[in-house]
Amino acid sequence: MLAEVVKQPETFAASKDSGVAVCNVCKGFGPPDAKVTVLDNVNFNIQKGEFVSVIGPSGCGKSTLLKLVAGLSEADSGSVSIDGKPVKEAARAKSIGLVPQSPALLPWRTVLDNVRLPMLVNKRSNAGRTMRDPEALLHSFGLGNAIDKFPSQLSGGMQQRVAIARAFVFDPAVMLMDEPFSALDEMNRDKQRMGLLEFWQSNRKSVMFVTHSVPEAIMLSDRIILMAAHPGRIAEIIPVDLPRPRDEAVYATDAFRDLEGYVRNSLKTVMRQVHV
Amino acid sequence: MSNFTNVGMATAGEGKKTSLFSYRVGAIIASWAPPLITFFVVAVVWQLLAISNPFVIPTLDAIGSSLLESPQMYWANMLVTSQEIAIGAGFGILCGFLLAVIMAELPIVERAVMPLMVVIMVTPVVAIAPALVVAFGFGMMPKYIVTGLVVFFPMLVNSLAGLKDVDARALDVMRTLNASRWEIFRDLRFPGSMPFFFAGLRIALPLSVVGAAVAEFVAPGQQAGLGSLLTIAAAQANLPVTWACIVLLCVLGVVLVSALAVVRKRVLWWSDQSIVGR
Ligand SMILES: Nc1ncnc2c1ncn2[C@@H]1O[C@H](COP(=O)(O)OP(=O)(O)OP(=O)(O)O)[C@@H](O)[C@H]1O
Ligand SMILES: [Mg+2]
Repeated sequence: MLAEVVKQPETFAASKDSGVAVCNVCKGFGPPDAKVTVLDNVNFNIQKGEFVSVIGPSGCGKSTLLKLVAGLSEADSGSVSIDGKPVKEAARAKSIGLVPQSPALLPWRTVLDNVRLPMLVNKRSNAGRTMRDPEALLHSFGLGNAIDKFPSQLSGGMQQRVAIARAFVFDPAVMLMDEPFSALDEMNRDKQRMGLLEFWQSNRKSVMFVTHSVPEAIMLSDRIILMAAHPGRIAEIIPVDLPRPRDEAVYATDAFRDLEGYVRNSLKTVMRQVHV
Repeated sequence: MSNFTNVGMATAGEGKKTSLFSYRVGAIIASWAPPLITFFVVAVVWQLLAISNPFVIPTLDAIGSSLLESPQMYWANMLVTSQEIAIGAGFGILCGFLLAVIMAELPIVERAVMPLMVVIMVTPVVAIAPALVVAFGFGMMPKYIVTGLVVFFPMLVNSLAGLKDVDARALDVMRTLNASRWEIFRDLRFPGSMPFFFAGLRIALPLSVVGAAVAEFVAPGQQAGLGSLLTIAAAQANLPVTWACIVLLCVLGVVLVSALAVVRKRVLWWSDQSIVGR
């Protein structure tokens, strides 16, 4: 169904000018005299082709951080760059794909036309870009039969897959996903997760993936960013050294279980800090 | 891959055509019978009251025969009123929507202009109409203006609400694509505002009939119209003509609302289905 899975060594170009770089980012909300700090001095980077998950207690600022990287809001201090350029410039070049928490499809457009949408806006940046064929992409997402349907005729899981296809279709360098599967039931969620994993393993993009699920974070990621709350900050960055390509069998390995135990423990520590 | 062109159609069992047919007929009867019975009861009560109070309301057959006696007269007057509605309401709808677009794109305009709009709208139309006659005479212009004014505000308010009610997450997607303002309007705000736009029409169109009739009451003028005919007939205590005019104004409203429902179904089929996970 999918293109051959590329076996890649786990080495990423360690250049500062490729991938996402978040430097000393602070962000608060509210009036200057009663400012609530939501992100406090956040530093991390995502290398080209690296899959990074962000996990942490509710309200710790994961979505806020993702929005900063997406260029949807601006940091109070610090910088966010993509391939060495400021986010705004990256957005102008249409280098960022966003998968929001809900599919956010346009109900008056067919599935195919929804996926085509990114090609039809900001056309100036289309020059010299290799677009994916939307129909082929939808077929590879198992949505071949849904191409001419409307979003309301699809299940929640299928809608979310369409939203992911919409983000992949214009081949952006960076993919940002904010809990894309959180509205799905556990079984469906697992299926979508494996589908994404399979697709990504043959189409490596830099991915920032916000999730609440520890197994999901481990299964998908090269590294897991664990955040603490009040103020939001990075508590720990956990490398995931499981070999790729991965599949369901990984769930049953000892390495996976050990890592899951470790991440849960770290998460518990972080959560305990919150309730002090 | 299957082609779903008839997306709105339920794919029912093909082999059960007859039972499906009778089911449909049953459903149609079930949905039409209650209102029809209501109308019938009202008609009977009306007729009984009319027979016992001949100087208060006319009998239904008197209204009917008045309509049949001089159809050209009624038709000509109805055309005049329809023209007032078409032109007056047409402009009112257009202006209301355009101003809403400007307000949605430039919030400063909303803050600057909205209070004035509210002031204009709370001023009773019946009070504005004579003033307009003084300004524009007894021609069609004051009627266009009154009809337009009446529909303007509901269209403005509803369109504005619709243009602002964008799916924030879809907007985020558009903004990360660096879509231009125009592209966001074209692909997101404008189509997304249509349910509100049509809700506005649902209020504005019946109001436009009221507006046209009121304008004619105040400024009968030589071009007549159903409202003018009605005032003249009422002054002469000509009950059948008075009520025939009322019936025709009713018909006009019903035609507008039904046409709207048909158009809405064609344009807005997507908004009646709920979106999972939204
Ligand atoms: N626009 C805003 N104005 C004011 N406060 C905000 C705004 N956006 C977020 N916040 C606050 O910032 C904090 C972090 O919010 P954020 O949505 O980033 O959390 P999160 O980690 O994504 O949580 P969840 O896991 O529940 O999605 C919250 O306390 C929230 O109230
Ligand atoms: Mg969030």
